[in-house]
Amino acid sequence: MNRAAQTPVLSVRRLVVELRGDGHRTRAVDRIDFDLYAGEILALVGESGSGKSKTAEAVMGLIDPARGIVTADCIRLGDTDLHGLGESALRRIRGRDLSMVFQEPMTALDPVFSCGEQLAALYRRHRGYDRRRARQAAALMFARIGFSDPEQVMRSYPHHLSGGMRQRVIVAMALSCRPRVLIADEPTTALDVTTQARVLTQMIALAGETGTALLLITHDLGIVAQYCDRALVMRRGRLVEDAAVRDLFRAPQSPYTAELIAASRGAGA
Amino acid sequence: MRFALLKLLHGILLVLGVTLVSFVLMVWFGPDQTYTLIGKNATTEQIAEVRRELGYDRPFVGRYIDYLVDLATLDLGASNASGEPVARLLARTVPVSLALMLPGFVLGNLLGIALGLAAAARRGRLGDRLISGFSVAGMSISFLVIIILLQVLLSTPYGLDLFPVRGWQVDGPASYAYYVTVPTLSLIFVTLGYNTRFYRAVFIEEAGKDHITTARAFGASQATILWKHVLKNSMVPIMTRVLFSIPLVVISGSLLIETYFGIPGVGRVTFDAITNGDQPVLKAVVGLTAVAFVILQVLAELSYRALDPRLRT
Amino acid sequence: MSARRRAWNRLRQDRGGVLGLVIVGAFLIAAVGVWLGAWGQDWAIADGGRWQPPGRDYWFGTNVLGQDVFERALYSVRTAFEIGVVVAVLATALGAVLGAVAGWYSDTWVDGGILWLKGVLDSIPFYLFVAAVAYALQGQAWAMHFAMVATFWTGTGRLVRAEVLKLKSREFVLAARVIGLPGPLILARHVLPNCSHILLVQATLAFVAAIKTEVVLSFLGLGVQDGVSWGLMLAESTQEVLAGQFANFLSASIMLFVLLTGFNLLADAMQDAMDPKQAAL
Repeated sequence: MNRAAQTPVLSVRRLVVELRGDGHRTRAVDRIDFDLYAGEILALVGESGSGKSKTAEAVMGLIDPARGIVTADCIRLGDTDLHGLGESALRRIRGRDLSMVFQEPMTALDPVFSCGEQLAALYRRHRGYDRRRARQAAALMFARIGFSDPEQVMRSYPHHLSGGMRQRVIVAMALSCRPRVLIADEPTTALDVTTQARVLTQMIALAGETGTALLLITHDLGIVAQYCDRALVMRRGRLVEDAAVRDLFRAPQSPYTAELIAASRGAGA
Repeated sequence: MRFALLKLLHGILLVLGVTLVSFVLMVWFGPDQTYTLIGKNATTEQIAEVRRELGYDRPFVGRYIDYLVDLATLDLGASNASGEPVARLLARTVPVSLALMLPGFVLGNLLGIALGLAAAARRGRLGDRLISGFSVAGMSISFLVIIILLQVLLSTPYGLDLFPVRGWQVDGPASYAYYVTVPTLSLIFVTLGYNTRFYRAVFIEEAGKDHITTARAFGASQATILWKHVLKNSMVPIMTRVLFSIPLVVISGSLLIETYFGIPGVGRVTFDAITNGDQPVLKAVVGLTAVAFVILQVLAELSYRALDPRLRT
Repeated sequence: MSARRRAWNRLRQDRGGVLGLVIVGAFLIAAVGVWLGAWGQDWAIADGGRWQPPGRDYWFGTNVLGQDVFERALYSVRTAFEIGVVVAVLATALGAVLGAVAGWYSDTWVDGGILWLKGVLDSIPFYLFVAAVAYALQGQAWAMHFAMVATFWTGTGRLVRAEVLKLKSREFVLAARVIGLPGPLILARHVLPNCSHILLVQATLAFVAAIKTEVVLSFLGLGVQDGVSWGLMLAESTQEVLAGQFANFLSASIMLFVLLTGFNLLADAMQDAMDPKQAAL
């Protein structure tokens, strides 16, 4: 694939996120640039505190202005610059063109609505479906994400489902409107090992079907090696490496990356 | 099943406790009615006779059991002061109190919820500070001050002079509105400060939860988040607060409002009964209150089940 | 920096809290002054004319008996503090002790008993209870205080019990038990001091509730029996305002409002200082 000729589906230039703490300021994200191309799986790697989650939140526009300030030259999704957009414009994009999945599935779903209702609501909101059509679409989506009994899941409430199942519901919600980009922030870290692989493969497969590019945030190099095309490495808010996964493992440019790789190998990853 | 039985047991113990406390206070320590009934120049036999009738010669436990039995069989007797059968007295006054207190109670909570939601939505910004400041002020004003102030502003020539200073001659919607407005406004102003601050805290707590972030990430509007997600998830604390504030607001409040505005409701009747030592009336009211409270508990449990799917399995 | 230091710093920065502290301090000085005999002593002297307007001799005017409204309002500060402090201290102390005992012996009959008592007291409509107690104690001056303490302790009790339950499983408590220290000693020396932040806020709130309750009780005739209080002044004023005499009403209600606002601001600030997550930012 000729990268140079393709325009990225997500383009970020000089993104800075400054957080206001108990009287002092820190730069959680310090002038990073990156591109995400259609159909690819881009890993965003780093240890805790490296700024990877804040990067995702900044792109989604979810950072509370009272807590942090976001500046950037551009945060471009397709032709639209997200950075200057007002909240109501962002709302139309969120869930429809740009989606996010979070780390903790146990608390991510609303406890008082059924899973079917929560997914159907998205179809009503972004596609304008009526109640019946939204329900049908939701059931179909649950089938596609790999549930053997989609109708059961439709009726279930989040507390009836295991962590892995809940995460699959959220992934289904995230991909339901075929967004151009899905940001997944440590989507399987809170799940146990056997479920991790299943959820991850299903998510990637479905993203492939919906034509969604994936920004996968993780601290697990094993996942990077197994599933991703390219990787960005962040350390203390700065981008220290940007390479194809094969090149990253064979010949890391940054000493920090080399450290990470060595540490993960030592831990038996 | 076991759970329900346990709750029932608690409820019964509670009723027993309430009746015991009120029995001790109002009956045991209550005024001696012997002389009010016969006058001062009675013979020793007549005094003994009356005392036996009133049960004063029986031991504590015996009288308490009598009290409970009377309550349970609804043998409420007649008022010592007026001779009116207590059952009829209650039937006459309870509806009045309800008609008086309910509008203010309901509106006070609805407004509190709305303001609390508005404050939580604008947390940290001007709107929140204004609402929070207003609720602190509301909590700092005495009930009596509000009542007097509203009276001056609405019922006297120094103000609007639209409403009556006291009384309750209700025979239709117009006269109802005429008499209930100032008391209702008083009740709203008194409770609004406390309600707003409580609901605001509940909504802020709920709005900080993960699933709200998820909803925002999927494009939910501020209105949807507040009204659909935050509010619905807060229904359990809201319900708890509403139900358990009923004894304080409706019953204690009715005592004060009815005494002040000269309205013939249960609160005032009870107060008169306390100061006059009118035991039949007191027994009935206390019993009624205890039972009402147990019913409230049951209602609360049922409502939790209806409102929170996690409690249904 | 210890948690206490940090909380104190946050409190100092909170403008509402500082204002509250200043207000309460000013009123406290006024109350102490009355108590020491420095001012407010002439509240009973009735030598002005009836209902004189505010002037040089009588700053707020006089009431129906010719008494100086300003002196009466000033003396009432002392009354308010007396009631407030007594009730706040006793109710909080009682709540702390009973709550700690209930929490320490949780799930035993001791705990059950205390919880039952709490439930019963919470179920009884407050003013009915107070009226009954006041009547039962035959108009004794302390009837009002007794009734308030008997019902106010439940709020503190509940919070302390919850806190003790949390602290019971912490290491320092387990260590103390392992050494063989008796329960009550552990409670008194180790557990309760860690609840001091809760107790401070609760005492403040109890003070506020006590003063507000006194107002209503005095109106009903069950409150302050001798001396003067804002409640009595307001009770006097209920008829007076209909005749256009606002001195009693305005002076009592405004002073009451200012003092209560001061306390409420202070209580809020203390709570925010100790648990910033709840703050209004």
